[in-house]
Amino acid sequence: MARLTTLPAVCAAIPPLAAVAFCGAVFGAALFGYTPTFWQGGALTLAEAAALRDQAEVARLIEAGADPNIEYALRPDVLAVSRATPLEAAVLARRPEIVQLLMHEGAAVDERGWHRLHCIAADIGEDDVIEAIDAYRPSTVAVASCTR
Amino acid sequence: MAGSLGYGLLRVPLQVQDSLPKIVEAGRSPGVWASFTSEIGTTDFRPLWMAETKLLFDLSRGHVHVAYKAFHIALLMAALGLFVAALRIETGVDLAASLFALSVFVGSNTFVGLVKEATPVNVYLPIVGLVLLAMHLSRGRGGVWSDVAAVLTFVAACLTLESGVLVWVALMAGRLAGRRGVSDRALVSVTIVMVVYLVGRLTLLPLDTQNASGYLTERLEPEQIRERFGAGLSRFTIYTVFASISSVLFSEPRDGTFVILRAWQHGDIPPRMWINIVSATLTTVLIAVTAWRWLREGSADADGDRTAIRGDFLIFGALLAASAVSSFAYAKDVIMSTAGACYAIVAFWAVRDHLIRTRRVGPAMVTAVVLLVASSLWAVRVVGVHHVLRTQAFAFHNDWAGMRNYLPDDPAAHRLVSTLRADALSRPVVNPWFMPRWADRVFDIDY
Repeated sequence: MARLTTLPAVCAAIPPLAAVAFCGAVFGAALFGYTPTFWQGGALTLAEAAALRDQAEVARLIEAGADPNIEYALRPDVLAVSRATPLEAAVLARRPEIVQLLMHEGAAVDERGWHRLHCIAADIGEDDVIEAIDAYRPSTVAVASCTR
Repeated sequence: MAGSLGYGLLRVPLQVQDSLPKIVEAGRSPGVWASFTSEIGTTDFRPLWMAETKLLFDLSRGHVHVAYKAFHIALLMAALGLFVAALRIETGVDLAASLFALSVFVGSNTFVGLVKEATPVNVYLPIVGLVLLAMHLSRGRGGVWSDVAAVLTFVAACLTLESGVLVWVALMAGRLAGRRGVSDRALVSVTIVMVVYLVGRLTLLPLDTQNASGYLTERLEPEQIRERFGAGLSRFTIYTVFASISSVLFSEPRDGTFVILRAWQHGDIPPRMWINIVSATLTTVLIAVTAWRWLREGSADADGDRTAIRGDFLIFGALLAASAVSSFAYAKDVIMSTAGACYAIVAFWAVRDHLIRTRRVGPAMVTAVVLLVASSLWAVRVVGVHHVLRTQAFAFHNDWAGMRNYLPDDPAAHRLVSTLRADALSRPVVNPWFMPRWADRVFDIDY
């Protein structure tokens, strides 16, 4: 009788105990000043943050002094390129809201840079991104033509 | 569990939407009493909630994030403590059943809203705690202090949220089940206060309860609901009541929407949906079998703990029905959180009953397999709650980035929001890119 009860009782208790152990590991790590593995991320470059729709990190990095107009390295799997400016990364990742944020936070494009971004956006064919880039068209540019 | 969830809560930045205006309002308010009275005559009528928001703001001395999160964690610990206190743990079998019940409580879709929402104080968590406290008082030995505590519990609950009337439901259902911890005189007092509250709430204060809600596989905006179903009692309100009950018993629909059907229409049902529905259905079947045995035999417990089981089943039934009726206007899982807590309590009795009754090898093996599957799936759901917090931290973090464009004109509020924004941006969160790709498919997400 006792043994018949034990097996179902163990089956009912072991998985929740595993969940409790998970919680204990998270809390224990935090208690000793470590970041629990579950809550560990990693540092991002400004271009990576732009590609990975991390608006807060984009804002934080720029406000901490990162230059929004230079190229940064990108980890493999983030985008198909290994280096890009934050604006290029945002366009390649189809993130119009990041384009706007970068412009607002101080990114600048000259005639040539804008043309390049516009053509990348046109190549991708994402209307929202084209619109976001076109909103910052330098007044000296009349019409953009992109040739493949 | 409380510790790890508390850590998760600390990692989630304060909410911008729905929360920031309340914090700014608390900063502008001249005092706690002014915040309390500011709610009188409003659609929401949650004066105690507003007073708490103001009190915490004043006590924070600039550490707003810590103050609100600490209060949220304290509420969470109180609710978990009262939940465990509601389980009768005396033997190894009780311990096994209580572990199962704890994972049902925390893993439930009705629980997620208790940790993910904070505007800036979670408004549903106090109700869960106060209902569990009322159940505790009802089970107790009684006395003047229990009576006073019962009345105060009810008043505090009603001044926090309309769902506070569930305290009355829990007390009355407990009394009907034979519990005498709260005297009849106190119950009459609570009933009088409730009638006064309901009359005042329904006749004197504006009532605009239509929010967005799910309907079958769709999500409808308030205007769409009015356009399609009209105002008052309709097919939609009946659907919403039954959908709310189903969300507790079967974890579907979610906020009124049958997400599993929608996913099926799109040709891809992620494992998390099966995990939710199978865990809940197995548990509901266990509870139904226990309830059926109890009705058939007049006792569901081989140990003779009839009153406790009858009381908890009755309270669960009453709270399930009352919570569902109270969410007639729109379905939201968190509105059912009190019923969800009681669902976990009756799950405790059901698992215990199945364990105690095991007499033969065949049924013991079946029980073992069912419990193993159900408890494994609930355990995944418990981890899923942490995943929801992790993904939500990223979303809230991003919301603060755009706040630079919407800073208030008033210098004090401007300073406050700028400080909160800087604080939120400085808090590290996990970009979803660093999370395993399968996490969003296995763990629950924010619907």
